[in-house]
Amino acid sequence: MKINQTVNKTTQFKVLSEDQIRQIYFAALEVLERTGGQVFQEEALELFKNSDAVVKGNTVRIPPFMVEEALNFYPRKITLRGRNKKHSLSLQKDTVAFGTGSDLPFTYDRETGERRRTVYNDVKNAGHLVDALSHYDFFMSHGIVGDAPNPQTYDRHQFMAMLESCTKPMVVTSVDGEGLKDLWKMGCLIQGGEEEFKLNPLFVAYIEPISPLKNDRTAVEKLLFAAEKKIPAMYTPCPSSGATAPATIAGMLVQSLAETLLASVLCHLKKPGMPLIMGGVTTLLDMKTSTYSYGAPELSLASAANTDISKWLNLIMFSTGGCSDAKILDEQAAAEQMTSLFYSYLSGANLIHDVGYIDHGTNASLESLVLNQEMIGMVKQFGQGINTDEEHLALELIEKQGPGGEYVTTDHTYKHWKEWYMPKLQDRSDYETWVGNGSKTMGQRVKEETNRLLEEHNPQPMDDKLVQELKGIIHDADKRHS
Amino acid sequence: MSVDTTRISEAIAKGQMDELQAITQKALDDKVDPGTILNQGLLPGMDKVGQLWREGEMFMPEVLRSAKTMSKAMDILRPHLSEGDLGSAGKMVIGTVAGDLHDIGKDLAGMMFEGAGYEVINIGIDQPNDAFVEAAIEHKPTLLGMSALLTTTMPRMGEVINSLKESGIRDQMAVIIGGAPVTQEFADEIGADLYAPNAGSAVELTRQFFHR
Repeated sequence: MKINQTVNKTTQFKVLSEDQIRQIYFAALEVLERTGGQVFQEEALELFKNSDAVVKGNTVRIPPFMVEEALNFYPRKITLRGRNKKHSLSLQKDTVAFGTGSDLPFTYDRETGERRRTVYNDVKNAGHLVDALSHYDFFMSHGIVGDAPNPQTYDRHQFMAMLESCTKPMVVTSVDGEGLKDLWKMGCLIQGGEEEFKLNPLFVAYIEPISPLKNDRTAVEKLLFAAEKKIPAMYTPCPSSGATAPATIAGMLVQSLAETLLASVLCHLKKPGMPLIMGGVTTLLDMKTSTYSYGAPELSLASAANTDISKWLNLIMFSTGGCSDAKILDEQAAAEQMTSLFYSYLSGANLIHDVGYIDHGTNASLESLVLNQEMIGMVKQFGQGINTDEEHLALELIEKQGPGGEYVTTDHTYKHWKEWYMPKLQDRSDYETWVGNGSKTMGQRVKEETNRLLEEHNPQPMDDKLVQELKGIIHDADKRHS
Repeated sequence: MSVDTTRISEAIAKGQMDELQAITQKALDDKVDPGTILNQGLLPGMDKVGQLWREGEMFMPEVLRSAKTMSKAMDILRPHLSEGDLGSAGKMVIGTVAGDLHDIGKDLAGMMFEGAGYEVINIGIDQPNDAFVEAAIEHKPTLLGMSALLTTTMPRMGEVINSLKESGIRDQMAVIIGGAPVTQEFADEIGADLYAPNAGSAVELTRQFFHR
């Protein structure tokens, strides 16, 4: 028998030490105490005024004890459940789920090859692929429905497009508090009522502050509604280092944490115990082009550090990966997407979104979703770590086969090769075989696979009565806003 | 009497060695024609495996297990077969040329040919040119296979072919070559009949060659 053994069941990865996390956390508390944040919504200002916070005009300053009290009330586990019950997703420490991003205004048209406005059917097609692809655990709309009758109600139409084609849990965006209320009503219809939705929410509401340290009316409305109805919600700062946050990663992390903590206090004042999720698309403003970069290595580094902080705070983490600045799905896209997939996964973030983004979060590509499925598979394999038990050390086998022996026909190989990652689209064949199969590039294979999935996969449909009820909610919203 | 092709095909695909040996023995006991067992039972069963492999439905360890299963059944059947029954699936001599200690490529190819019904004589690694000629004279194979994994040892393959010519037996067999640095151009250059880029395609290319 052996004693004092430590075994890494998985690969280990951490950016910040515990002392560094404390430094960032205490700095964030100081920001809230000294600088505070701006809030542009009446009810929220009232809630702060009636608390120990100091409110002057729209600026709210918060003492650390209020933050520490609020943090004690957030759940460490949330279980989402898709329209199809088998797609259940437990969000808890070091459990990783991948999903798309949302609201891309443009789409790379598969017929013409041109960039054009995203429409209802594009969102539906993205959902179709997410439903089919095993490494996607949740769905955000990918594109934004640009052909809705009124921009003020696009969110309801978008959610409908998502529901029609995808049966997995979702993260949804909404126009304002009223929009989120309609989406929640639709979600309750699907889950079988308000109580069931509370137990197993269909979606998480995506909400974001405006960095630095501003909270606009619509974002706060959504937060307050989510707190009231106990809808899981993430408050996701999207700071650009050097422009809307300090140019240092540490400074950006301090500020974005302060933004998150302000929301945590506000939601707690509204109603304690809502499932609040920490978030962050922490990246930089590219100083050559003035774009918000989705492909910068700093995005991966800052995001992984942010996840370290979330774990220390016992908050569930919504992070970013699989995204790129490349205008089309090319070599740059693959390199950038793979980098952020790797580090977001290894960091142990719970919901990794924006998978498949190209053109720094403005352009949607269905092929990109298919390519990322393959890459996530590789990344997950790396995270598996190495088993070093006796069976895997294979000492007896090595002796049995001996120098000059072979392993390919042994029972041991027959049993264990299946532990390897099996690529679907990557080509590992010899040159002649590759030529014989038409000398296809990865891009061509990805395109064929995209076509196949769109043709062959059939997402489970919703029953007619449910569809009519959902459409009723959308119709009412359109009428109110006509 | 005929053979249960479905059961044979399944036993081969699943690598059930005992099962396939039992089926083969039973068929012989039932006086089924040995040629029928081979050509309507075993070979189509293995063809199916090759097809599944090319389509990405089966993988190397599974295919080799099937090949081994096939080869064990052939051990029982071979003494009962006439030369006519075997067709092109006759004897093969295979080895790695002098100066090259790489085993696995030629071993994989050898196993695949065993799976296709061949009796394979594997003469091993680092074999001098004469060893190939002597083995060819002794075993009278229908197919001679040579492998080289190094650019420095590739020229030995051409030398062996020349030695076969000098011994007057070059025409009695087809020569197939393979290995990572080998190409079709090189095969043409040295006068080999066949080149296969991998163990899987070797059997199929050889079959096509003999049926030409």
